[in-house]
Amino acid sequence: MTTRPPSFTASALRIFDLSLGQMLWSRRSIFLALLVGGPVALAIAIRVATALDLGSPRTPRPGGPVLFGLMVWLLYIRFIVPVLGVFYGTSLVADEVDDKTITYLFVRPIQRASILVGKYLAYLVCTALLVLPSLTMVYLLIVPIRGGQIGSTFPSLVADLAMLVVGLAAYGALFAWVGAQFKRPLVMGLVFAFGWEPGVLLFPGYLKRLTVAYYLQGLVPHAMPNDSATSILLRVVSEVPTVAVSLVSLAGITVVTLWIAGRTLARREYVLEQ
Amino acid sequence: MTRKTRNFVIASLVVLCAGVGTGLVAYFGLSTSAFTAAGGPDELRFLPSNATLVAFADVHQVMTSELRQKLRTAMPFTGDGQRSFEAETGINIETDIDRVVFGLTPSVDAGDRDGSSALVLARGRFDAVRIESFLRDKGATTEQYKGRTVFTPPTRSSPAAPPDATTVPPSAPPESHSTPSALVFLEPGLVGVGSPALVRRAIDLRDGGDSVMASEPIMSRVRDLENGNVWAVGRFDALTARASLGQGMMGQLPAITWFSASGQVDSGVRAVLKAETRDDESATGLRDLIRGFMALARMQAGSRPEFQSLFESVQLGGAGQTVTLNIDLTPQTLELLTGAMGRLPGPRPGR
Repeated sequence: MTTRPPSFTASALRIFDLSLGQMLWSRRSIFLALLVGGPVALAIAIRVATALDLGSPRTPRPGGPVLFGLMVWLLYIRFIVPVLGVFYGTSLVADEVDDKTITYLFVRPIQRASILVGKYLAYLVCTALLVLPSLTMVYLLIVPIRGGQIGSTFPSLVADLAMLVVGLAAYGALFAWVGAQFKRPLVMGLVFAFGWEPGVLLFPGYLKRLTVAYYLQGLVPHAMPNDSATSILLRVVSEVPTVAVSLVSLAGITVVTLWIAGRTLARREYVLEQ
Repeated sequence: MTRKTRNFVIASLVVLCAGVGTGLVAYFGLSTSAFTAAGGPDELRFLPSNATLVAFADVHQVMTSELRQKLRTAMPFTGDGQRSFEAETGINIETDIDRVVFGLTPSVDAGDRDGSSALVLARGRFDAVRIESFLRDKGATTEQYKGRTVFTPPTRSSPAAPPDATTVPPSAPPESHSTPSALVFLEPGLVGVGSPALVRRAIDLRDGGDSVMASEPIMSRVRDLENGNVWAVGRFDALTARASLGQGMMGQLPAITWFSASGQVDSGVRAVLKAETRDDESATGLRDLIRGFMALARMQAGSRPEFQSLFESVQLGGAGQTVTLNIDLTPQTLELLTGAMGRLPGPRPGR
């Protein structure tokens, strides 16, 4: 008697179910908790300092919405989202290879690409469940400072939440491919996220279109601080793509890199070092 | 999925939904005071953090209140102040304004009298084109400041500027002894009128900044008063400086630090006046002073029922460093009072 192998979707969901628990309760999660808890702790400190009226009178005191935009831009878009993408995205396949457990998945009667898709979905849910509540808490703590109104700025929160999910999806897919394709994917990911992207964005020309951050900043131009020297420089040398162009480009990056990653996993022979 | 993982997912979703739900509730205009430290009307964000007195009036509610209609019938008033404001700005208080926020700060313009600068923020329905044209016709000078046109009507003591004059630099010292008021449309439906420096500061604060909403001493008191349709909070020295009380009178008053007043004007008036003193002893002294004053007034009023009713509606209270005076003027009491005023000797106004 023979049984039919599970479908691609059923296989991906089974891998998702298995991987979500592994991701949430791994040692990496402590790092993740610190990463997303940092902005919340910072927001609490700012709120307390504001309530106690600490700080020099000469210190610039931006309003809550401006401060929130600054935190979204510098902490979440520029740091947390790429870091999560690099650390989790590259590990989706690389961890199984390093732990020599990928064989156990490959011998199952499921399509290899479904392993990657299931793990990618687990990454997306795991990171979104941590980053989105963190951003919401920061929003509630920071925006009311110095006259900011939660009601009037609520649409920007929705845009920020959506933008973070899109950013996590794009970075995760890109680094999932890096993890499936290359050796030492973490180093490559870090160089890309914190070397290539910030560097290229500062220069005029078309190279910035080969980054994820360029399209991500097109989704939330309001979150970009517009009173620092860096932002003035950025505005001079860089154009911001429209929301439509950004969305299409990020969707393209996500789908294409995920497809390549699945294809790589399906075709590549992983030689496990003994 | 293990139970631990499921619990985590649920907890995370609860936090996310609570946050987004709060934002959604606030977006549709409902109160989210549990999360907001601010409180008070939105216009407060245009007042600088060093404001020493803030006041609010829901002009529309007060103007359409039953009490005002009765008072207008009983005692038609001349409305000189209202007409003067309209003549200066082209804004009709009765029809154009919904609510007003008033702020007082230590003097920021060299020509300010009383050592303080004032700013009035009026929200309502303004025909900006008509008002701007009216101001230009009156000889107001205009100045562009951060994308907003600031109008400065000519003062009565100084000759009117030609209608096409443009600009007084922000740093230029005022030439006349009394600083002219400036007017600006801060937002659609929001006009700021007051000291030119404060008007410019209000424009600065449009995008956030160190507004009075960051001043916890003021905002904590504002939050306590929000249920009234008129209220005021301020440092007592700001009030006395404005009222120009003599040194002798000031010496007689106990050491009051803050005062606040809140009132609900509808068919009657319910008001709470609160004074905070430097110490318990000063508060006791102030309570004794008010008690003595009330006893004297009762004696003066004799057996006249309208005044007896008035005194019954006033209650002295408070504890520690706080002295409160609760006033509840019912429509019946007000009718008795207006009737008594009508019987006062001399020609009745409006007849």
